[in-house]
Amino acid sequence: MSKSAVIKGTSYVLVHTPEFVIHNGTTQTTERLVNPDSTYLAALPNHIRSYEDAVAYPPNQVFLGSKKPEILSGIEMPWCNTKLEDAKRFGTYGELMPEDEFYGLVAICDVFDLVILETDFAAMVKEKLAGHPLIGEDLISRIRDGISRDNIETYVKEEHGEPLFHKGAMVGYVKRAHDIDETLSAHVLFENLVYKASSVLALLHLIKNTDINKGDIDYVIDCSEEACGDMNQRGGGNFAKAAAEIAGFVNATGSDTRSFCAGPAHAIVEAAALVKAGAYKNVVVFAGGTTAKLGMNGKDHVKKELPILEDVLGGFAVLIGQNDGINPEIDLSLIGRHTVGTGSSPQAVISALVTEPLDRSGLSITDIGKYAAEMQNPDVTKPAGAGDVPESNYKMIAALAVKQGVIERTAIPDFVAKHGMPGFAPTQGHIPSGVPYLGFAREDILEGRIDKAMIIGKGSLFLGRMTNLFDGVSFVVRKNRGDATGDGTSEAVSDTSVKKPVIGIAAEDSELGSDVVAEGIALAEKRGFIVKRIEGVDCHKKMDELLAGKGIDACLTMHYSFPIGVSTVGRVVTPGRGKEMFIATTTGTSSADRVEGLVKNAIFGIIAAKASGVKEPTVGIANIDGARQAEAALLRLRDGGYDIRFANSARRDGGVVMRGNDLLAASADVMVTDPLTGNLLMKLFSAFTTGGNYESTGFGYGPGIGENFDKLILILSRASGAPVIANGVEYAAQLVENDWKTIAKDEFAKAKEAGLASILGEIKERSKSSDKNTDTSTAETEAEVAMPPKEVVTAEIHGIEVMDIEDAAVSLWKKGVYAETGMGCTGPVVLVHPDKEEHARNLLAEGGYIHQ
Amino acid sequence: MDLENQKRVKEYSEQFGPENLVVILGAAEGEAAGLAAETVTAGDPTYAGPLAGVSLGLKVYHICEPEMKDEVDAAVYDEQVGMMEMVLDVDEIVKEMSAIREQYTKY
Amino acid sequence: MAILEGKKVVIIGDRDGIPGQAIAECVVTAGADVVFSSTECFV
Repeated sequence: MSKSAVIKGTSYVLVHTPEFVIHNGTTQTTERLVNPDSTYLAALPNHIRSYEDAVAYPPNQVFLGSKKPEILSGIEMPWCNTKLEDAKRFGTYGELMPEDEFYGLVAICDVFDLVILETDFAAMVKEKLAGHPLIGEDLISRIRDGISRDNIETYVKEEHGEPLFHKGAMVGYVKRAHDIDETLSAHVLFENLVYKASSVLALLHLIKNTDINKGDIDYVIDCSEEACGDMNQRGGGNFAKAAAEIAGFVNATGSDTRSFCAGPAHAIVEAAALVKAGAYKNVVVFAGGTTAKLGMNGKDHVKKELPILEDVLGGFAVLIGQNDGINPEIDLSLIGRHTVGTGSSPQAVISALVTEPLDRSGLSITDIGKYAAEMQNPDVTKPAGAGDVPESNYKMIAALAVKQGVIERTAIPDFVAKHGMPGFAPTQGHIPSGVPYLGFAREDILEGRIDKAMIIGKGSLFLGRMTNLFDGVSFVVRKNRGDATGDGTSEAVSDTSVKKPVIGIAAEDSELGSDVVAEGIALAEKRGFIVKRIEGVDCHKKMDELLAGKGIDACLTMHYSFPIGVSTVGRVVTPGRGKEMFIATTTGTSSADRVEGLVKNAIFGIIAAKASGVKEPTVGIANIDGARQAEAALLRLRDGGYDIRFANSARRDGGVVMRGNDLLAASADVMVTDPLTGNLLMKLFSAFTTGGNYESTGFGYGPGIGENFDKLILILSRASGAPVIANGVEYAAQLVENDWKTIAKDEFAKAKEAGLASILGEIKERSKSSDKNTDTSTAETEAEVAMPPKEVVTAEIHGIEVMDIEDAAVSLWKKGVYAETGMGCTGPVVLVHPDKEEHARNLLAEGGYIHQ
Repeated sequence: MDLENQKRVKEYSEQFGPENLVVILGAAEGEAAGLAAETVTAGDPTYAGPLAGVSLGLKVYHICEPEMKDEVDAAVYDEQVGMMEMVLDVDEIVKEMSAIREQYTKY
Repeated sequence: MAILEGKKVVIIGDRDGIPGQAIAECVVTAGADVVFSSTECFV
């Protein structure tokens, strides 16, 4: 596999900070100095937006990933006139944090006792933060008890403290850290602490979004436009480590990269190079937000009767890691660079950043699916006379394409629409610089909408008065080229004539740690199996994509919601004789009816055993409730012509019903049981030599089998140890090599021919009549209720009785909520679209299916 | 317009004489160009900077205007500005600039 | 009469329009003397 670094995930955060606009934005602080009685300052408070309005603001929802950038094209400008009704604080990539909670986070990030909050305010903030899903007690306990308001006012006056306001009241202050040193003044420290806190928020969301262990991050790069140090080393740094410390990345070192707004693009190229070179494995590039730029264009917004649109801090984080064969690669052969000699004409800049790298690789401007240069929200910039910045960048790229003869001049608008997108990022300098699209780019590439995206960072170095130069760097993110190629140079490909199955492992939840999974994979590879590890929070999505696209032939995973009718056949080595035995089944649910389920499990077990090379497997039924009825049904099936070989108990009285002793001795090749008992047996057989929490023997919980279920997904436990993982790979490879799909099809066909349907029908009829209460409640069938439009269902609702699960789903359909049923790891679940989860829960609670 | 830039314009106008000074703009939009032009002719309309209430009446052009294009080397212009002609709304810029010049330029 | 020739020129460029340096390259070819060039940044 190529060594290219990949983008494993992103996070984007916003913080609503109306008071910082008034007290800290440089437009306002400057105005207060030069023109303290200005009409602007007087009018300003009337133009401040509420938190709810900031949340409902369409570009903010796009930045958080809840909406696609394209929706903005359909909204009339100014966008601030539109409030999205379904807007939420938490989005796909992060959140929009309110000001009061953010003060708490600022206090958490203070390690020098510089932030002092007022007593009641501190208590209130602590209480609010206790409800935050990502900020734990360890962080909250860092907020110290407050002091009285009178004391705050005294300190602000006498000690040059920077006052902190919320809803117009003074709620705390930041101390200066030195009496003379300007770089340690309260104003600068506040700015830096705000920056640090918004960075930490982005880091916490990145951890959640990528599911990586904090300890696995070994390098962090901060790429903002802030400076921290003292008067002897004004830009000493290192924001990166300061934020990583609070976020808990104990194994990370790091550094700061600066180049005005081009910083993020430089930092990502550096990170990709570090990973590709092998210096570090997991590098996080991040930046927080800046108070100085809040309300930067406020005068124009007020003049045009608009709200102050620059009222949020922005932040982002990106995880760059080793090639996993799935996530989009950062192609270091396609870097665009603005050099000292490039010059500053827009044409020279865009040529250097866009066409030069493409020309080097023989690509055309139109080969890049999407470009992302400066994603500033035009709602902010247009009223200020700075135009639509992303649009002019796209026009520049289109104009170059015209000059190169790739497109006609009249095609510029089409090019802009196809290869660009509306700007949606807050004007926080480095934040909008190309990177806001990375989250969407990753999704667009993973889901096949585009192959390549170019991210362009541009920086105004001349503002620092050290040079008149401009700066810029660009890089290309492209679809993962998998095993076959690496940066254009092909590596050895395994001989296709002896093509071995590729087994995926999406095991992100191991209780034993990521290392154990790696150990299991290494063990399997040593035995000659081909394994592909799938990582990230969305590993199940990737797994499904890879299975569908034949990138892998089978996959091992933990927690998978199989549909009802599918359950897994485990495989263990029994202690009595060291003999292998299939446990049918171990997770999932074959049927809501116990006896029907046992009968089906017998067939599933036979399929798994045959596909694992056991030609004529013997079947026994564990001595559990329903065993006798299942035995009778299976006998009828045999009489109908289905070739089933019954095992004989090793106990003196024999028979097909197996006692505990038979389990230990593996008297049957296939042991039929209900999945809950089967699951229990799996754990006993797998962990009885280790004291319990490390499952060291056997082959895991096995493949999900069911009629018409054609994906090969095998289940591992979160406690599956390295040998079990390796055996699981072997189990999967055998099933693929023995063509399990055909075997399953044959067995189902034969059972059907032997009258399976009527036998199962009778079983169900009997159990129904034995439970008269269910007759009326289940009268309504799915067919009588119109199915709402199908949608992606990923939110699991637990706690519904297995007998009621189908009725629960139908009850949601009746209310227009599309739902599916499945088996979660702790029982049956109803699956709905995440946006409808709350509504569905309420409906299910009303219907008595769950208790809220 | 940035306060520092207003200060510089004012100083150079005093140093070289307003009749000898030309201000050239590169603004991205007509409106912004017009505001900057107004600042160096009639005075800072936002009353924030050193040119508030100071009517210098300077000669002011946007680099994309035909008068400028006529005077500078065509090859250099094409290399430095050519592409941006396709990106900016030049007509709008010309309209705004002409209006300000007609009204306020003294030289 | 030429507008630029022999005149002192102050350039107020725009990062998202035409940057100061690019304007300077142009106007010197018309015989102007650039006394000040800066580039504003609204974003």
